[in-house]
Amino acid sequence: MRRIALALQLATVLAGLALWELAARAGWVDPLFIPAPSAVARALAAISGPALAGLGDTLAKTAAAYVLSVVLGVSAGLAVGSVRLLRDVLSPYVIALYGMPKILVLPWIVLLLGYGTAPAVFYGTLHGLFPILVLVTGAVRDVDRTLVTVARSLGATPWQLYWKVLLPAIVPSVLAGMRLGIVFCLLGVLVVEMFAGVRGMGYMMGSLANGFQAPELFAATALVSATSIAIVLGLDQLNERLSRWRG
Amino acid sequence: MKVAVLRLALLVVLLAAWELAGRAANPLLAVPPSAVLPSLRDLLLLRSYPGLPASLWLTVQEIGVAYALAVAAGLGCGFALGMNRLLGRAWGPMIAALYAVPAVVWYPSLMLFFGLGAASKIAFGFLLGFFPITLAVLAGVRQVNPQLVLVARAYGAGVVTVFFRVMLPSMLFTLVGGLRTGLALSVIGVIVGEILGSKNGMGALINHAYGLLRTGDYVALVLVTLLLVVGSDVLASLLEHRARRWSD
Repeated sequence: MRRIALALQLATVLAGLALWELAARAGWVDPLFIPAPSAVARALAAISGPALAGLGDTLAKTAAAYVLSVVLGVSAGLAVGSVRLLRDVLSPYVIALYGMPKILVLPWIVLLLGYGTAPAVFYGTLHGLFPILVLVTGAVRDVDRTLVTVARSLGATPWQLYWKVLLPAIVPSVLAGMRLGIVFCLLGVLVVEMFAGVRGMGYMMGSLANGFQAPELFAATALVSATSIAIVLGLDQLNERLSRWRG
Repeated sequence: MKVAVLRLALLVVLLAAWELAGRAANPLLAVPPSAVLPSLRDLLLLRSYPGLPASLWLTVQEIGVAYALAVAAGLGCGFALGMNRLLGRAWGPMIAALYAVPAVVWYPSLMLFFGLGAASKIAFGFLLGFFPITLAVLAGVRQVNPQLVLVARAYGAGVVTVFFRVMLPSMLFTLVGGLRTGLALSVIGVIVGEILGSKNGMGALINHAYGLLRTGDYVALVLVTLLLVVGSDVLASLLEHRARRWSD
């Protein structure tokens, strides 16, 4: 079953590409809008220099936003989750901010922070922070009360309580949040680059679309998609290894 | 009670701090709340943007069409993949992998193909709504206990009866959750599309106000758009409650 499914996946991709190439060659679709895969492959080779530089730029901003999201999300989640009053007061605001389409405040962020790296990192963090915060808050809230009581009655300091009881208990939720957060961070950075970028893949894709350079645009899109799928699959792999190690 | 008071107090403190800091720094860029109120009044009285109702209606229409297409395609695809084990095993992970790509990478291609008009926003809203609905249907079909289906069939229930009496009730929570997520994402897709480049609709008005540094008008337009977002989610949650009551 597994083999057949894998073969079917491969066949789907190959058949899709062949059909697409045929459609472009036969003139069923306008190559101005939908270029043939072979043209996209040539374009990928042609733009590989600037595209890799742009991808590096985008990934560096994403990494900065991601580190900020994880650090802020986990620490705020620990604080909000473990103090009941804080949780009750803040949770409606957190949920509202999490659900709000953040694109609406993007023009304002760009007005305040200007073009370039700062708004991209800020907006990427805004996207990545909330899923991590919400997951960690929930996980801390649901930590077995008995564990906390026992640790306290055996004389654990608050520091020990966080470090030895709460943190190990929330590791699975932190990992799940990190898996979600990376895609959100990348999304945020790309949106800013498209809206107000001067560098990076989002900016490059936006200007390729405005210049009607469809083969180059498709090549850039494929590059970004493949990169993000690779990152997510890599994190999944890491996650699986970690959970096996935890037993 | 105490919590509600504290929540309100926090909001008041935040707004006051924003007001003071905004006046002290740069009222044009920081837009203190007191600057928003006159703009909001002008906007709602159609003085600053007489085209507001038309733009709002266009955005609502784009969302409606995008979501209808996403629901139709998502249900179709989800059930087709869910009912056929081999196809589900092969294509399900591929759809999940595509879902891991930040969707905005598709937007420049859609803009190139569909132009700056409503079609590219509908296409993007459709794309964002399609994935969660399809994946929810796939997950829902897996939740159905095959033994229940077998027993129902053995007692002579037809395919339609099995679907409505056995499958639908046991997958309803997942399905309705996916439909609600899909609506939220279709709304976001249309708004993101409009802000990244459009000629009409709420996003075009927001970009116009922002481009001319009419920051008060910009915030007022954002508030009106937020009302649309919240309204659609309230509608979806009402429908979700109805569906849950039906299944009980």
